[in-house]
Amino acid sequence: MNDIIKSINPSEDSLLIGGVNLRSRLFVGTGKFSSHEIVPRVLEASGAQVITMALRRVDWKNPQENILNYLPQNTILLPNTSGARTADEAVRIARLAQAAGCGNWVKIEVVQDQRYLLPDNWETLLATEQLVKEGFVVLPYMSPDLGAAKRLQDAGAAAIMPLGSPIGSNQGLQTKELIRILIEEISLPIIVDAGIGRPSEAAEAMEMGAAAVLVNTAIATAGDPVFMAQAFHLAVAAGRLGYLAGPGERRLKAAASSPLTGFLQEV
Amino acid sequence: MQIFVNGEAEEIISAGTVLQLLENHAVTFKTAVVEHNGKILKQEHWENTSLRADDSLEILIFMGGG
Repeated sequence: MNDIIKSINPSEDSLLIGGVNLRSRLFVGTGKFSSHEIVPRVLEASGAQVITMALRRVDWKNPQENILNYLPQNTILLPNTSGARTADEAVRIARLAQAAGCGNWVKIEVVQDQRYLLPDNWETLLATEQLVKEGFVVLPYMSPDLGAAKRLQDAGAAAIMPLGSPIGSNQGLQTKELIRILIEEISLPIIVDAGIGRPSEAAEAMEMGAAAVLVNTAIATAGDPVFMAQAFHLAVAAGRLGYLAGPGERRLKAAASSPLTGFLQEV
Repeated sequence: MQIFVNGEAEEIISAGTVLQLLENHAVTFKTAVVEHNGKILKQEHWENTSLRADDSLEILIFMGGG
């Protein structure tokens, strides 16, 4: 494990997804911001290259502005299928997003549980199978279950996005041990999505070997979203570097950092 | 005549095109996506697609989301 890590030069580190080499391992969502106007400044401070958004019906009586008008030109758009309760609905939303000129990346999100917004791994798998066949770069949001992750991998997903805790809860890495198992057992990039509430939690996920994290609520609901975006940028970079550096072993007992000989009182 | 837009009944006076309907509602439609009777309607066809009674349209845009 450590030999593999040592072979990666941090200055050349990048994340390959869907044929694109990403320099930034922080994905950012655009929901819940107080205004559209703040979004470009947040995205700039985050350094994110992959940005998520949602497809919704236009309010016919009171048309809203399209969030796409506020996103930088060179970002990779990752529309989600939020609102979908079944695989069929997710597939329909993905096709619509593609028709809207969003490229071919899609975050599959299929949720029936309205209280905790926990994803339905079975429907997510069905949607993934279909959309991979149609040429999409599919990033499924899922409950961290090894069996489901393996099936998603076999179905051709481009990455696996397990939740840290329920969407928008800011509870951090409640599923940490299950995510650790996915990182160990799944060869696809593992991107921790949902629940990360603090920069330290993003750093922790990256130190564990997560390939990236997706953050929305923690930035959008911060007192100063621009500063928080910058804090996440630094935390993700620091956590990644810590992972590449190869953390030392944990011990139950002390191991002196200073020499244990040559004390002053020795006679 | 009556059509359905985003699930709601809508009375329109004359049978225009999809493009005219969007323009009349001042939707910022450059990046909108339209589904016409359950099928995606590409932007280049908005101008030559006439609306008929009981047609169903879904008009969607991107909003903030995570």
